[in-house]
Amino acid sequence: MDIREETISVGGVAVHAWTGGQGAPLLVLHGAGGNRGFTRAFRALAEHYTVWAPTHPGFGASGDAEWMQSIADLARFYLWFIDVAGLRRPHLLGQSLGGWTAAEMAAMGPGSIDKLVLSAAAGLKPEKSEILDVFFHTPAELRTLNVHDPKTIPEWDELFGKVPTPADLEIAERNREMSARLAWKPYMHNPVLERFLPRVTNPALIVWGREDRIIPVECGERYRKLLPGSTLTVLEKCGHLVPIEQPDAFARLVREFLK
Amino acid sequence: MKLYYFSEMPHHEYPDAEGDKYPSLRLAFPNRFFDRKKAAENYQRYLTEYELADQVGYDGLMINEHHSTPSCVDVGVNMTAAVLARTTRRAKILLLGNILPIEDNPVRMAEQIAMADLISGGRVLSGFVRGVGVEQWWANANPVHNRERFEECHDLILKCWTEPGPFRWEGKHYHFRHVNPWCLPLQQPHPPIWIPGTASPETAVWAGRRGYTYVPFLVPFDIARELFEYYRQGAAEVGRKVTPDNLGFLICAVTADTKAKALEAGKHFVWRMGPTLRGPVEWFQPVGMRSKAGKQFALKARPRSLANMSYDELVAEHFIIAGEPAEVADKFAHVHEQLGCGHLLLEAQESRMDHLTTMRSIELMGAKVIPAIAKL
Repeated sequence: MDIREETISVGGVAVHAWTGGQGAPLLVLHGAGGNRGFTRAFRALAEHYTVWAPTHPGFGASGDAEWMQSIADLARFYLWFIDVAGLRRPHLLGQSLGGWTAAEMAAMGPGSIDKLVLSAAAGLKPEKSEILDVFFHTPAELRTLNVHDPKTIPEWDELFGKVPTPADLEIAERNREMSARLAWKPYMHNPVLERFLPRVTNPALIVWGREDRIIPVECGERYRKLLPGSTLTVLEKCGHLVPIEQPDAFARLVREFLK
Repeated sequence: MKLYYFSEMPHHEYPDAEGDKYPSLRLAFPNRFFDRKKAAENYQRYLTEYELADQVGYDGLMINEHHSTPSCVDVGVNMTAAVLARTTRRAKILLLGNILPIEDNPVRMAEQIAMADLISGGRVLSGFVRGVGVEQWWANANPVHNRERFEECHDLILKCWTEPGPFRWEGKHYHFRHVNPWCLPLQQPHPPIWIPGTASPETAVWAGRRGYTYVPFLVPFDIARELFEYYRQGAAEVGRKVTPDNLGFLICAVTADTKAKALEAGKHFVWRMGPTLRGPVEWFQPVGMRSKAGKQFALKARPRSLANMSYDELVAEHFIIAGEPAEVADKFAHVHEQLGCGHLLLEAQESRMDHLTTMRSIELMGAKVIPAIAKL
């Protein structure tokens, strides 16, 4: 598969993006851990869609955006990105922090996107439990907390098994710093998002891991109640990194939904 | 060289084995181990010690502030300043300091420091600090904004003190439409400003540009000299001359009637070198709090963590000075010779150092050490 790396300038920020595949555009927004690009799930999806996987401003190889203050800012930015990249009503898929961003984008401009996929999305405050304070934990602890069982993850060694280089560590630090900039307080949620979600009548698929220890599955249930056109699928024996932990099941679900 | 008395007002009133069960004494150690009765007695005791330090001739009384930790239960530096403003007569009151980045209302802070200055008859030295990461967690303040907020909070406080109100402040982090504090410091244009440093070259340069008194805390002499060089760079940028009065240094120190007693008492300082600083790096230095330059310098500044040094090593390297008055005076003279600083801040009580030992140390410093170093 031909996967290209591009840099797209949006509002003065150089946005790094991986893109590849064929078919209708599918915009994929990564989580706080950074852009892992075309992992197995997205390679499968790229067989049917033109996948766009940009790196958020302030993360990885994208330019700085110290002026951004919130996920709402990032959402407005990506609505602009859609215009500049010429994606015209793409399907929108977001994981975790990227899922929150996708939900904000849908609430701001439901007509700007086609179908919506939220995977273990942040953005809503759970009622019965709490979102794990990821900034309070060491990267090593998070690696464990993020997933249900590394042994079941086909790409574990490739993604997490190598000793990080100094450059990797610098990027990880940069990703954490930008995540903190965007999501420190209120932590990982927007108290008014729930007021706007009922506006989003686009078909929406919500996917969660039953064993998610970062964002509890009750947040998935709340999204399901607030988004009128949504369904929720909970994958068993799956933690927070749904597309990485169960790439084949995830890709199948998304493919079925977008068809 | 001027001497300052300082106690962190510790609350080491629990079995250490309990504290060891938690990842850190800060943030995580449950406050059910906070002994209210002991704390009430200790505040009286610590304030009495400060009052004696004032009476015996210390040039200044340094106070500080931390949160969510037994290592320091002075939780309001301006509150302590107000108490000492009334109960002491002579010594400067060095607030080192107010934690600017976590403050949401710099106008109120400007008023409170001004009020302490007024009550004390103009004895306040107003230190401003960036705080350790723990305070960011305590206040749930975004560490990414630590330096920006430090600087903006500082600018607004200075404006409150030096420019007539009413005025308006629309900054990046602070927004006030009607600023007109009816409480201004006695000292004009404002109380002297002090800035501590442990590892951040930017802070040293920043303080140098402004001519603030700059005080490295518990770093090796060569690192202190290097930080002073950054300070001088900042001063040179604006053509300011650096004098010993611009430079301070903080160490731990205790004296007693015999060397053996002093060395025994000095062991209480070991607690603050390791156990009270134990914990995940994310808690002490949350993401985004320190610049790359600061991080690199920090690695250099502490090639060995103080926590890994033995008591003898800490004494040998002057992080702790403990001895009879004559020896202590000699060692202070050595620090002065090494660094050329005009102010020496003594963390002079720690952990479970008892009241009598602390009081005797204060007395002897006043009677024998302060006169001996007066000429420096």
